[in-house]
Amino acid sequence: MATSAGSWKGLERMSVEQLKAVKEQGDLEVNLLQESLSNIRTATTRLEIASSALNDLSLRPQGNQILVPLTASLYVPATLHDSQHVLVDVGTGYFIQKTMPQGKHYCDRKINLLKSNFDQLLEVASKKKNVADEAGVILQAKLKQLESSS
Amino acid sequence: MNRRRSELRNAMSSSNLRDLQRELENKANDLSKLQKEIAKNHQMRKKYTVQLGENELVLKELDLLKDDANVYKLIGPVLVKQDLAEANANVRKRIEYISAELKRLDATVQDLEEKQNSKKDTILKLQQRIQSFQAGKGKA
Repeated sequence: MATSAGSWKGLERMSVEQLKAVKEQGDLEVNLLQESLSNIRTATTRLEIASSALNDLSLRPQGNQILVPLTASLYVPATLHDSQHVLVDVGTGYFIQKTMPQGKHYCDRKINLLKSNFDQLLEVASKKKNVADEAGVILQAKLKQLESSS
Repeated sequence: MNRRRSELRNAMSSSNLRDLQRELENKANDLSKLQKEIAKNHQMRKKYTVQLGENELVLKELDLLKDDANVYKLIGPVLVKQDLAEANANVRKRIEYISAELKRLDATVQDLEEKQNSKKDTILKLQQRIQSFQAGKGKA
């Protein structure tokens, strides 16, 4: 609360032009952070889908009949050769062969990492939003003051 | 005679003013080019930072593996089996390269920003000169 009051005092001293600049900058940063948060959410969802797919696959015995998607609307019949190993895309074109438990562990680790990043970003975004909102409120007050004085 | 002299003075001062305004326009164009260059560099820096982060994550994953782990590299549409040590070395080399590029970009951006600041100062001084010129003409 003390920091908020301090920032409020700092904003109070600013000119209308400076306040406009602060608000614009704040809004821009908040938008960028929101975009990043959205990307993290998408990535987390993808990893959760992968994790549940691994879970589903581990329950199927070897030799099980499956349909493999070649495109979004074209599937070919196949037989499950090995349900104990998976290839994991770790980024920059590298794939690592892992066992089912290792694959699940990888997904869980990544999900936890993304969630912690998400929480940190959310905190930063809310602080930036507060500053931008404060600047907006003070700006409106100053503009009204200028109107009434003129 | 005096009128002729004052006419000459006016003509000279207006041509001086025109020169100053032309100079200001040129400097403003230069500043605009610099700002575009800075924006382009920032964009490249962002791209390299993302790549660096991704490569560091890959390196962490490779460091967790045992020596007998199967690692594959996607080359075009084909997965090619690769030795773990080789993959490790490749990723490290790439990290070194990207880090060096980032350092170079940082230096470039710093240099461009210094140039931008000096250009801004020059423009400010020119504007002040033009204003004082116009004020002088107004008094005359």
